[in-house]
Amino acid sequence: MSVLIGDPVLDELRQILGPGHVLTGKADRLNRARVPAPFPVHRWAERMPDLVVLPASTEEVAEVLKLANRLRIPVVPRDGGTGLTDGAVPLCGGIVVDVKRINAIREIDLGNRTCTVGTGINALKLNEVLARHDLIYPDDPASYPCSLVGGRIGTSGWSLIGSRYGHSRDLVLSFDHVLPTGKVIHVGDGIGRKITKSSSGYQLKHLFMGHQGTLGIATEATLKLFPRPEAEFSPFWAFEDYDSAYRAVGALARAGVATFAGAVLFDEWKVAYLRRDDEAYIPQPSSVKALVCAALYGYEDEVRAGGRRLMRIARSHGARYLGDEISEGDWAARHDRYATPLHGRTRSGQVVPMSWHCEDASINYTGLPAVRLAWHEIADRLRRESDVFDDWGMFAYTNGATGADYLTEIDIGIWEQRLDDTAWEAWVRAKRDLAAVSLAHGGSISACHGSCREGEVDLVPEELGGGYDVMLDIKRTIDPNNIMNPGKYLLDQAYAEKS
Amino acid sequence: MKYRYQEEMSPPPARRATDVAITRFEHVYEVEPGLMTEHVTQQTFPNWDTLRLVRSRADHLAWMHRHFADKVISGEELLHDLDE
Ligand SMILES: Cc1cc2nc3c(=O)[nH]c(=O)nc-3n(C[C@H](O)[C@H](O)[C@H](O)COP(=O)(O)OP(=O)(O)OC[C@H]3O[C@@H](n4cnc5c(N)ncnc54)[C@H](O)[C@@H]3O)c2cc1C
Repeated sequence: MSVLIGDPVLDELRQILGPGHVLTGKADRLNRARVPAPFPVHRWAERMPDLVVLPASTEEVAEVLKLANRLRIPVVPRDGGTGLTDGAVPLCGGIVVDVKRINAIREIDLGNRTCTVGTGINALKLNEVLARHDLIYPDDPASYPCSLVGGRIGTSGWSLIGSRYGHSRDLVLSFDHVLPTGKVIHVGDGIGRKITKSSSGYQLKHLFMGHQGTLGIATEATLKLFPRPEAEFSPFWAFEDYDSAYRAVGALARAGVATFAGAVLFDEWKVAYLRRDDEAYIPQPSSVKALVCAALYGYEDEVRAGGRRLMRIARSHGARYLGDEISEGDWAARHDRYATPLHGRTRSGQVVPMSWHCEDASINYTGLPAVRLAWHEIADRLRRESDVFDDWGMFAYTNGATGADYLTEIDIGIWEQRLDDTAWEAWVRAKRDLAAVSLAHGGSISACHGSCREGEVDLVPEELGGGYDVMLDIKRTIDPNNIMNPGKYLLDQAYAEKS
Repeated sequence: MKYRYQEEMSPPPARRATDVAITRFEHVYEVEPGLMTEHVTQQTFPNWDTLRLVRSRADHLAWMHRHFADKVISGEELLHDLDE
């Protein structure tokens, strides 16, 4: 239902936003048509928005949504554009609302340890300012330098150090939210901007986080702050087999160390991948088959005490400490792990340019070994079918401090320039199969990115059961004309049922 | 950095690191050149530029640590404590 946007609409938008903030140029639109996840470049034209707007305030966003709602024009919110489930990719043309200009730090409240910011800011820039007050906003995805607060809200993101500080849903206290009709509401725990716990009314904050822009646009958020850590410790250990590494990561996560911020398990495929191209792992002896790392943050005395305990646990599981240089270098690289040009290999070993795709799921600790084998079987099938795909191995990251479940990811390299309909179809089938494995093991299809891409999205109704019907009802009620990010999460069904 | 163009454009001889990687400078690895002949070919870099890239990365990683915490605890030191 691509909408042809005529001049009167442009005129109205220019009046709302000023002429410089309504973009119609091809480059402006092309740049906002895709995200870093594998993209069917051969079908780029199908994902183009008609125009882009750059509002500077909640009021301007509200006016744009009122207009779009009145004229039934699709609207796609976009922040950093780093989302990996295509949330910010327009499927039906229309207007991309790029919120990056709403990026002011409005308040730093030292007494209540909160700050209030426009949702176009990112945590790195915010933390540079907060450091002057010895504070930190610890939402730390591997896209830390380039994802922004609004996108963290739109995806309900996952943080590398979430086992210590919580994830986006815990760190965002409340926000101004523009509904698809243009009405502005404030959502949080209760009505308070800075309240961390309320039992008043429905808990709307969770509803308006992770909706991938299908329920409106968050414009100004109040965030929870912590003391900036005095010390960091990030040991990396090598293991001679996956099973020992698996047992070790479980023991580390269950140890109950207060400064524990997260642990990561690298499987054999990941180690094999790193041996090709990563200077830390190329020289490792062939006996290294799996890796584990952990991260601790806090006051120096606490981190030292917790660190000694984790070192002892790792050693009792057969770990070999990889040394300070690798440990420090690799952990620092996690905050922007993939912001480097990537290359994969054809089956004959030739280097080819590839983009990275991370399939993520939430899997309980006890399910990790089986899911790993089933996922690699799927990746192997892709690899056998075509040189377009390369298996880059798996990570499992703790989701929380008790070690119950893990963000489980398989990284797959994709040679985008060679994608055609056949390869794309194979990819979509594989995504569906990966999601099915997660569900078969009692997991959730996504721990951090969301699950609205082709393939995986087909299984969302199965994952959520009756909850998915509630989603359809909510969508229809809040967005009566289906203007917000249509085509995502199969939510168009809500309107088909109605008619 | 060497003054003469030719000196900068002559990298030290390669040593094989693994089946798929070679090395010319300490801790700096390159893909085995035979694997970059069909789809992506290798570029010629002056030595100073290769080393600049590696050092810039190291600077960036050091910055990242400082960004998150004042101090990084050494695992080697903690292991030493355990052994005592
Ligand atoms: C290298 C790399 C590493 C990554 N690592 C992680 C990780 O560790 N953890 C993690 O959680 N994710 C990770 N991601 C995915 C991505 O960074 C996150 O999903 C992030 O939250 C997206 O933020 P963004 O600002 O780029 O949002 P965008 O991609 O612009 O948008 C994401 C979604 O939110 C919606 N949206 C955007 N702005 C708003 C708004 N103001 N109000 C409502 N909805 C909005 C969009 O429509 C879209 O559906 C990674 C991505 C990359 C490229």
